[in-house]
Amino acid sequence: MREKRKKLSTIKNNPKSPIPSTVSLMNQWVSMGGEVIRKILLKGGPIVALLFLITYLAFATPYFFTVSNFLNITRQSSINAILAIGQTIVIIGAGIDLSVGAVLALSACMSAVAVSYWGLNLAVGILLGLGTGALTGFITGVIITKGRIPDFVATLAMMTTARGLALILTQGLPVPSHFTALKLVGYLPAGLIWLGSGDVLGVPVPALITVAITILGWMVMTRTTLGRAIYAVGGNREAARISGISFVRTKIITYSIMGLLAGVAGIVLTGRLNSANALMADGAELQSIAAVVIGGTNLFGGEGGVVGSLIGAVIMGVLGNGLNLLNVSAFWQRVILGLIIISVVVFDQWRRRRFVL
Amino acid sequence: MPRESLLRLEAIDKSFPGVHALDHVDFDLYEGETHVLLGENGAGKSTLVKILSGSLPKDSGRIILRGKQVEITSPYHARLLGIGMVYQELSLIPNLSVAENIFLGRLPKRRSFLVDWSGIYKKAQQILKKLNLNIDPEVPVRDLGLAEQQLIEIAKVLSLNLQILLLDEPTSALSERERQRLFKLIRELGERGISIIYISHHLSEVPLVGQRVTVLRDGKKIATLPVNEADEDIIIRMMVGRELKEQFPKEETSPGKPILKVQGLEIKGALNHVDFTLHEGEIVGIFGLLGAGCTTLVRALFGLEKTDSGKIYVNNRIVTIFSPADAIRLGLGYLTRDRKDGLIHPMSVMSNITLASLKGISRLGLLKHRKERRVGEKYVNELRIHPPELNRKLMYLSGGNQQKVALSKWLCSGSKILIFDEPTRGIDVGTKAEIFQLFNQLTKEGVGILMISSELPEILAMADRIFAMRRGTVTAEYRRGETTQEKLLKSVS
Repeated sequence: MREKRKKLSTIKNNPKSPIPSTVSLMNQWVSMGGEVIRKILLKGGPIVALLFLITYLAFATPYFFTVSNFLNITRQSSINAILAIGQTIVIIGAGIDLSVGAVLALSACMSAVAVSYWGLNLAVGILLGLGTGALTGFITGVIITKGRIPDFVATLAMMTTARGLALILTQGLPVPSHFTALKLVGYLPAGLIWLGSGDVLGVPVPALITVAITILGWMVMTRTTLGRAIYAVGGNREAARISGISFVRTKIITYSIMGLLAGVAGIVLTGRLNSANALMADGAELQSIAAVVIGGTNLFGGEGGVVGSLIGAVIMGVLGNGLNLLNVSAFWQRVILGLIIISVVVFDQWRRRRFVL
Repeated sequence: MPRESLLRLEAIDKSFPGVHALDHVDFDLYEGETHVLLGENGAGKSTLVKILSGSLPKDSGRIILRGKQVEITSPYHARLLGIGMVYQELSLIPNLSVAENIFLGRLPKRRSFLVDWSGIYKKAQQILKKLNLNIDPEVPVRDLGLAEQQLIEIAKVLSLNLQILLLDEPTSALSERERQRLFKLIRELGERGISIIYISHHLSEVPLVGQRVTVLRDGKKIATLPVNEADEDIIIRMMVGRELKEQFPKEETSPGKPILKVQGLEIKGALNHVDFTLHEGEIVGIFGLLGAGCTTLVRALFGLEKTDSGKIYVNNRIVTIFSPADAIRLGLGYLTRDRKDGLIHPMSVMSNITLASLKGISRLGLLKHRKERRVGEKYVNELRIHPPELNRKLMYLSGGNQQKVALSKWLCSGSKILIFDEPTRGIDVGTKAEIFQLFNQLTKEGVGILMISSELPEILAMADRIFAMRRGTVTAEYRRGETTQEKLLKSVS
């Protein structure tokens, strides 16, 4: 028995042998397969889920696997994706932002009001919207750090405050509203609409913006000292402090980035809807948190990444689109999304226990 | 004649990805015996007791309890079998009272659903009295010191009336007196027929508590011997697998000019006019019992505590330190007493090493990944951090290796004044010697080291000068070799 094994191994390991034995090749394949499976389990959970989903839908409905439908999905997912990128950064820093939907609406209303009622130039209007978002985020960050208030509470307060401000700004009417539209004043400029509905060589502009923001977010989180500081503060606040990293500064920056991105999402959404209103993007905060969770970022901070959240947002988009095509009611879609979030987290827990990551 | 084993482990095997943590380990425990488990960090001691306490499943092997084979499936199940564990890392809930923590999960009830509060406090009082602990059972745990918390942890497990106790480094946070109290308790428990598996890094403790010793190395059992045959040299050789020349390899250096001078430092209620000077290439030891203010002093130096008055000079220039960032800029480094406070567990080894020197590995806020890798590799090699994988998350390293990472962080930041609060806490002899060797190397390069230690042999051997502290005041100063363990203890108590 032992002799036999020896023989086998000599054949396998003989470098002069011109043909590699099938046994050794197969072993190699199996071990490589194991390594690939391990890698996928370690990092690629969301992408595997997405591929499964796409494959299933491609067979389940003939309308799904078409270029026009895919472009449609990117357009639909982009708002959530932009918010999810910001939310990821906040969550990695051991925070959570419940005000993103409200801040989105406030920024959008600010831009829309500025360009259509105040007659400001498009670029100024957009800057005003982005500035509003960033400033709101900055204030949230200051309240959390200087006021020593839990993130959850501070952003909850900001959520209702920002909605209220948006309602005050628009007097509860859509911008532009039918009153102004009838008089042929207060149209949104074509440039703003292009940002939400236009395309470049067939690719929707919102998708391009999303990709650009993802790349930027990824760069910040992996290539900069700021990103490192965010991971450190989220992983262990005290240890970060002792290592000379300012908790206050880092936290305020994460919320300012989030606010800025909420502003971007607000402008894109306004462009897509041809209108802004104070109640737009209702529930967007929970959608963005769902995308972050599906993307594998740890809700307690310190671990995760923006690319996962992009995939998370796309999964949600594909799912909504596919279920629509399959004629599943919107009511059931919510149930299914809930089940998916639960199974993702259960899978994530299992994988963390099973593998050293 | 061989005694009957209460517990027998046969060929216990456990692997984690990349590590064979336990390699067919046999082990047995008699009734009423305290069996000491020794080994370097990562030798598999903690894994073994975790398997026994039900918090880790074994891969293979048999556990035989009172002559019957058992499969321990959970900590709860272990408790039903009479096995209880006192954790190395505290597992108390800070906001709950001492009594609630002791009875957590089994609060005595009245009329089947109301908590019997007066009963609970009375019972807790009894348990504390049995341990000679003078602690109010109604006080929330977060108001207690680390040592008291550790004792509560032990009280909690003792209150379960178990037959086998697993103690994982129970003395790492205790003062000398509390330690003696614990040893006495362990002996009493033994007389009552309770068996204990005791993990420790303090070789000097072994003859005080145990009857037998088992040494593990790299997941394998090296030997089991009775305590009277286990002399320190033999055990060290078994643990390290090579001859360890010296536990405290202190090399003489000649201190240079002063680099840190503290004058009249005061914090109301904590520090009382503290003066001292640290020179280049010098190791200054600070010794005091828990609560004497040693940790407060160094935290104040590092900008973590507000001071009321006093002057701090670095390199003969007066400085103000408001935050750790200021301290780091001035060339200070601070290794915290509790490793957890100084390291970021979900981050990689490399990121932890470079965390205090991000400026040095970046330009305009952009990280230079290749440079960071080089720096990380340098320290992983120099300090022999195991496993040598830069991207491994810190939480998957053993305690001793985490400590090496924490050290690397301050070496990497180029600190000239290093403050170490219990640098060898929870670290095995081999690693300790390595760390002290590193101290020598650092002092030769002109670094000044301020070391708080409650390990008398260590502070006596390594420090050039020793300051004794009591109640926030420096009570005595000794040069190296001028004092003894007894004298030093007397000046702090």
